[in-house]
Amino acid sequence: MAQTMRTFYILLITGLWTLLSPHVQAKDYQVADWGICADGISQNTHSIQQAIDQISAAGGGRLIFPAGRYLTGSIYLKSGVTLHLERGAVLLGSANPLDYDVHNTWPALVFSLNQKGIGITGQGEINGQGWTSANNVVSLIHRGLLKDTFRYDRPDQWRHQNIYFLECEDITIRDITLRAPGSWTNTYERCKNVSVEGLKVDGNSFWNNDGIDIVDCDGVTIRNCWFDAADDVICFKSHHPDYTCQNVVVDNCVGRSSANGVKFGTVSRGGFKNFKITNITIYNTYRSAVTFAAVDGAEIENIEVDGLRAINTGNIFFFVIGNRWSSGKKPYMRDITISNVYAEVPLGKPDPGYPFEGPIEDLPRNVSPSSIVGMPDIPIERMTLRNIEIVYPGDGDPFYAHVGTTPEELSKVPERPDAYPEFSMFKELPAWGFYIRHAKDITFDNVSIKALRKDYRVPIVLDDVHGITFRNLKITEPEPGDKEQIVSNRSSDIHIEEAPQ
Amino acid sequence: MNKLKFIALALASVCTLSLSAQVTYKASYFGVKSDGSTLNTRSIQKAIDHISEQGGGTLEFYVGRYLTGTLNLKSNVTIQLHEGAVLVGVTFPYDYTAAGDTKAIICAEGQENIAVIGKGVIQGQGTLLLGNVQTQINKGNLKESVAQASPALISLKNCSNVKIEGINLQNPCGNVMVYSDCKDVTLSNLAVTSRQTANSQGVIFSGCTGFSMTDCYFDTTGDALASAGTSTNVNISGCKTPNGKQLKAKK
Repeated sequence: MAQTMRTFYILLITGLWTLLSPHVQAKDYQVADWGICADGISQNTHSIQQAIDQISAAGGGRLIFPAGRYLTGSIYLKSGVTLHLERGAVLLGSANPLDYDVHNTWPALVFSLNQKGIGITGQGEINGQGWTSANNVVSLIHRGLLKDTFRYDRPDQWRHQNIYFLECEDITIRDITLRAPGSWTNTYERCKNVSVEGLKVDGNSFWNNDGIDIVDCDGVTIRNCWFDAADDVICFKSHHPDYTCQNVVVDNCVGRSSANGVKFGTVSRGGFKNFKITNITIYNTYRSAVTFAAVDGAEIENIEVDGLRAINTGNIFFFVIGNRWSSGKKPYMRDITISNVYAEVPLGKPDPGYPFEGPIEDLPRNVSPSSIVGMPDIPIERMTLRNIEIVYPGDGDPFYAHVGTTPEELSKVPERPDAYPEFSMFKELPAWGFYIRHAKDITFDNVSIKALRKDYRVPIVLDDVHGITFRNLKITEPEPGDKEQIVSNRSSDIHIEEAPQ
Repeated sequence: MNKLKFIALALASVCTLSLSAQVTYKASYFGVKSDGSTLNTRSIQKAIDHISEQGGGTLEFYVGRYLTGTLNLKSNVTIQLHEGAVLVGVTFPYDYTAAGDTKAIICAEGQENIAVIGKGVIQGQGTLLLGNVQTQINKGNLKESVAQASPALISLKNCSNVKIEGINLQNPCGNVMVYSDCKDVTLSNLAVTSRQTANSQGVIFSGCTGFSMTDCYFDTTGDALASAGTSTNVNISGCKTPNGKQLKAKK
């Protein structure tokens, strides 16, 4: 009997060991062993770096930060090392701008350059103290100690990101909170196999606090994340004409912004390919829920957005091709499907009271429509909008701003290919629902748009659109009078299946 | 030869004059913050005083929200609100003082060569401020009428050579603009929206000599234009309300 029990225990322990062993493969190290202080006052930069370097050299592992505040300047994550921030642990960025290094244009708190198998995990946070640090930058600039282009009366070059990883592979970001960067919050540039899950971003401490920036990466998953960001929420960029942001999955994320929700660009040199973006909620957001900008030569194709809820958002869709920094590279935007969307646009500002509110600009302008705008020689091609419902405020006042629908008036809507692309860039547009110009092979399948108040503008304007099908289009607005519902100019091949009601 | 010398001298002096008028200062130089929650009254006032003491110039605000109480504009100072810059009135009644009888975000009394220009915005946060004004009056702390305690956006008294150009004026607690006993006032290309508080009038002027207003838009709960009829040399043209009505000066 005893023998049987002993065999059973041995088997049980062996079994448990087998089960648990993969989880303890990476060795854990405690910060206290390097004398790293959790007092929020001692500068830990070199001690943390020493720990990371040793752990990496020893084959990798987790550096564990228990609850406490760990003040530091720039540190460099090395291959095989994961920073594990336990609940209550705060990696605290220095308020002194001179404590940060600069790589590839901007400073950052946590760098990783050309490393493999790195991560930041745990319920703790990284707080960049961006507000204090950025204002110290302003002061250093005015004293002539830092040189900066200082556009818009704010520092350009010397504000730090919380995380900047360049040319790294196999990145794991899990559960952490990122707070108060001086610039972008976390940026991954030319990285491969990036997995971000359970990230929470509170980025309202200074201008340009993006939620997350993915630049020219291949193989990215962003899942179950939450963002409150002064600038764009989930932002994909392409800084290099020879690189492409590709093979990306975004799923189940919630965000608000004083700029855009999901954005391609603004810097858009290479391209964006093979995206699947599902179950996104955008709220209290100043600009567009979804913006795709190909203004620097980007090739955008094979993009699917399925499941978007945009509440109290200033604009819903803004798709634009331009020629800003293309340097001769020819952009395109094609094979895009947007489906299962419910959206509400307010009459007033969607983001009052948030720090760094979106700027009031491009006035006079009534509430802008969603826009799909290519260039005269480069139409946006093969785009499908399916199962879409958008509620607009209407209320367009012709004495405040007016663009009519005669060919002469439509031709006066500026092209602005070299302008910074935002939904309001054309100022007043002649439609309240959709403005489509320079596009080809577009499908509206079960799209419903509704204006809550009387509007002098028509619901939809097509200008230089060739091949567009409206299937089961629903338009609702009070006192439409004898306005046309769809005004077309220089367009051909327009199919309306089931007359709009 | 003498004639040439004279021309050269005249040219040189004109250049010097125009140079001194063109000195520009960025708001951040004075510690002014664009986050919308830092109260900037004292920093912006320091900037205005400093610029005026230096002989004048332009105080530039770039994109951002600049929270402030009353600012007293001084001679030879131009406030330039670039596109996206918003001067936001704070919501506490005790942060405001008056020029003449009218409290406002931008006040001036007895100043000359002053201007507010650009494509930016001045915003009064009328609803929130009025709520606080009423609470303070009801508690007996503020011994003024609601009208006296409700700040306008701009209140100028006894000023000369005034230019207000291009900006958007939004949602004051009281009236939008008040000009009393001013000389040579030019308002142009203003977009005025005041829909948060009742009976908010667009522009009130009295006792002015030389008052010109062109190409402005007024969407206000009160009269767009009110004059005491004591002004001379008044020119109003190209100004509209949301129903398309053209504004005219009362004879």
